[in-house]
Amino acid sequence: MSTLKSVGQRIQRKDARAKLTGTALYPQDIEMENCVYGATVRSEIPHGYFTLDLTEAEKAPGVIRIFTAADVTGHNVHGVLFKDHEVLCARKVRRVGDPIAFVVAETQAQADDACALVKVSYEALPAVFDPKEAMKEGAPQVHDGKDNLIYHYKCRRGDVTKGFADSAVVIEREYVSPFVDHVFLQPESGLAYMEEDKVIVVASTQYPHFDQIEVAEAIGWELEQVVILNPVVGGAFGGREDISMQIHLALATIALGRPVKTTMAREESFYAHSKRHPVFMRLKVGAAEDGKLLALEAELHGDTGAYASWAINVMRKAGVHITGPYEIENVFVDSYSVYTNNPYAGAMRGFGATQVPVAYEQHMDILAEALGMTPYEIRMKNLFRKGSVTANGQVLTESVPLETCLEILNQAMNGGSEAAGLDAASSGTKAVPGSDSAAVQERSVTEHA
Amino acid sequence: MITLNLNVNGKDHRLEIEDHMRLLDVIRGPLGLTGTKEGCGEGECGACTVILDGNAVDSCLVLAAQCEGKKIVTIEGLETADGLDPVQQAFLDNGAVQCGYCIPGMVLSAKALLDKNVAPDDNEIKEAISGNLCRCTGYDKMVKAIKTASEVMQERGEQK
Repeated sequence: MSTLKSVGQRIQRKDARAKLTGTALYPQDIEMENCVYGATVRSEIPHGYFTLDLTEAEKAPGVIRIFTAADVTGHNVHGVLFKDHEVLCARKVRRVGDPIAFVVAETQAQADDACALVKVSYEALPAVFDPKEAMKEGAPQVHDGKDNLIYHYKCRRGDVTKGFADSAVVIEREYVSPFVDHVFLQPESGLAYMEEDKVIVVASTQYPHFDQIEVAEAIGWELEQVVILNPVVGGAFGGREDISMQIHLALATIALGRPVKTTMAREESFYAHSKRHPVFMRLKVGAAEDGKLLALEAELHGDTGAYASWAINVMRKAGVHITGPYEIENVFVDSYSVYTNNPYAGAMRGFGATQVPVAYEQHMDILAEALGMTPYEIRMKNLFRKGSVTANGQVLTESVPLETCLEILNQAMNGGSEAAGLDAASSGTKAVPGSDSAAVQERSVTEHA
Repeated sequence: MITLNLNVNGKDHRLEIEDHMRLLDVIRGPLGLTGTKEGCGEGECGACTVILDGNAVDSCLVLAAQCEGKKIVTIEGLETADGLDPVQQAFLDNGAVQCGYCIPGMVLSAKALLDKNVAPDDNEIKEAISGNLCRCTGYDKMVKAIKTASEVMQERGEQK
């Protein structure tokens, strides 16, 4: 077999040397001549109408111009699935942190100071913070004229009523996973400038091509007139999939004819970008005397906060994954994405598949205990293997090495302690004491070849 | 405004700075050394770590005015005519660099440790970088890289 150039080789990351010598430029490291600086005024209440008084702020030292919804030259909307974000809120805020105005001044400090002088008068509306409450008749409407329930995924397989009736043990529990922030280490920063008839936006982003469309639509320009430059990205983990300040920068540089830059402090970064969806999970599972899972019923409420972002994809994935890697004949799943007045939730590593193991794996342990089995035995009884069919009908035809993985872990843990098991979990077969690991590995390769 | 004398990466500087500036602001601003990063501005993340008179410090927690006459090393000061510093080279060789934002601070914390203790054990390495957060969670390769650098530095020391 000829040697491949990259696959199987130790290759150096292309940008590693620049990052190690300090020459890699993140947006905050880029300065331009004649540059002005922006800062964002954000809502301080979760739900309400507002009016703005810019008189004091406009008189503040260094302030050049304050942009509001009226200054958005195209469509005042953006969003990856639904256009439900406003570039700058026009009359209503739907969460704490919604952008209301973009203040541009000669220095970043002057822009920050002037933000505090923008007077925002609120007429607070009742707010809702729980997705189950938000689905009820008469709940506060986060988006005027639109249901809070934005997505319902259903999975129906077999007959759960019969499955539960046939079960020796039926366990029902509720689990909750929390909001989580990505906390990528490089806070949001960006700059924009004009190059002939084009607007250039420099920002660390996960979606330059998406950003181009969203900026063009919001400023009302042709796609070809918008260029997104993605320099070095200081971590993202899903948190840079939605627009943050790209459109604000484009509007400001077009209006002022000068480069415009903005850099968020860590605290503002928390307000600005999405979070992991909290999911309220009700899970009911029945099993036979021998541990075989017979039925699973689940109800998942995903809190997407004030905006949808990827809520549909996330809660679909959660609904698919709630069965865990286990064969179950009878399945009944409802998974919902719901607006509330919380911070908005979007993409984050795992995308819905990360929340649900909190429920199904704890549930497996509880079932095992009720049946007098070990956690290992109940999992081995029900695992997906080659040829398994998932609850949503996918036939797994290759590479299902879970059984091998659990065997290795079990071997490590029986030979010694819990610590040995954890070692095996993080280091693989190397950690198996006295090991038969070569044999296990070999078998695994043969099985999945 | 105050006058500040600093030696940065072996070079003397005389700067007029605002009283309220942090060491980080002076390094990234008037000195233009943007390799030093700001991640949190409150001493939690370590991205702004520099070496101040031999010790790794968070430059966001040091008032510039406190640094009169001090010696500072930033990430830009490690590479010499002979090439990368052993810590930089080992990070490169061990694949210890991901998004890179923590890297200057991480490398300088490691460098400050190895300059004082050329043969640290794993726990000493982990303690030395405990103030530096890597959100990509690449710690394992970093610890390996610092051990590699330690070996290289010991070999070089013996050769001298």
